[in-house]
Amino acid sequence: MPFDDFENELRDSLKREPAPAGLKRRVMEGRQNRAQLHLSRTSARQRSRMIWFERIAASLVLAGVAGGAVVGHYAIERRKGEEAKQQVFTALRITNHAFEVMNERLQERDKDSQ
Amino acid sequence: MADDWQPDFEQLVDVHQSMVFSLALRMTGDRGLAEEVSQDVFMELDRNMTKIETAQHAIFWLRRVTMSRATDALRRRRVRGTDLWVEIEESHGARELEHGSPLGDRIEALLGTLPEAQRAAIVLRYQEDLTPEEIAATLDAPLATVKSQLQRGLKLLRAKAESQLKEYIRAV
Repeated sequence: MPFDDFENELRDSLKREPAPAGLKRRVMEGRQNRAQLHLSRTSARQRSRMIWFERIAASLVLAGVAGGAVVGHYAIERRKGEEAKQQVFTALRITNHAFEVMNERLQERDKDSQ
Repeated sequence: MADDWQPDFEQLVDVHQSMVFSLALRMTGDRGLAEEVSQDVFMELDRNMTKIETAQHAIFWLRRVTMSRATDALRRRRVRGTDLWVEIEESHGARELEHGSPLGDRIEALLGTLPEAQRAAIVLRYQEDLTPEEIAATLDAPLATVKSQLQRGLKLLRAKAESQLKEYIRAV
């Protein structure tokens, strides 16, 4: 056979072949599986997101409670400090008053002795 | 009207499965691998359905992605140490083919011995009946390169056919 019509022979031999039986079915199944996988991944992602939200919420509550306890403790300590300060001032006032009384008596005694 | 066209995935698979499979088969030379490539191509089409604008765009996209995926599959095989077309060449182009005329089958088997780029250009030219300009667009290659690949591929294929099929032709 001469090769004058080689291109035609090539064209004939390269005609499209029919796809294997079941290719379309496998493609459609693959598509369905991918969609299901996507769905399950999405719900897993949502579940994971919910867990994280819960963790963050719990952490915030815990931080709030701990912060409140610290602030409360600090307020109590401050109040105690204030009370102690007032007591010291009262003691100083009493002492001062006692000194003044003693001083007046000593001055009266000095006058009497002169 | 392009605006009226609504892509239907199942219909696209139905209409173009033969084209995609044939392109993959002629690029890889392996039915199993070609089927794998075809499935991958359609899965990718499913992921990119929103980007497909017209029926013509779908065909262009499928050809382009099939050629690219088939080339990738061949490279992966080569990295793993299995070159199917080398095996075919070693067996004197006697690839097992089930369809077409015996001479056509032998020519098709010889096609597999061509370098990848030349094979791609020839498959698109003679299977898909594309012009060199369309081949250049599909393969994303310069037009001059495609024309040269077509000429060199055809010349090489003709030479191989003349030397290897002489005996067969004489018998016919």
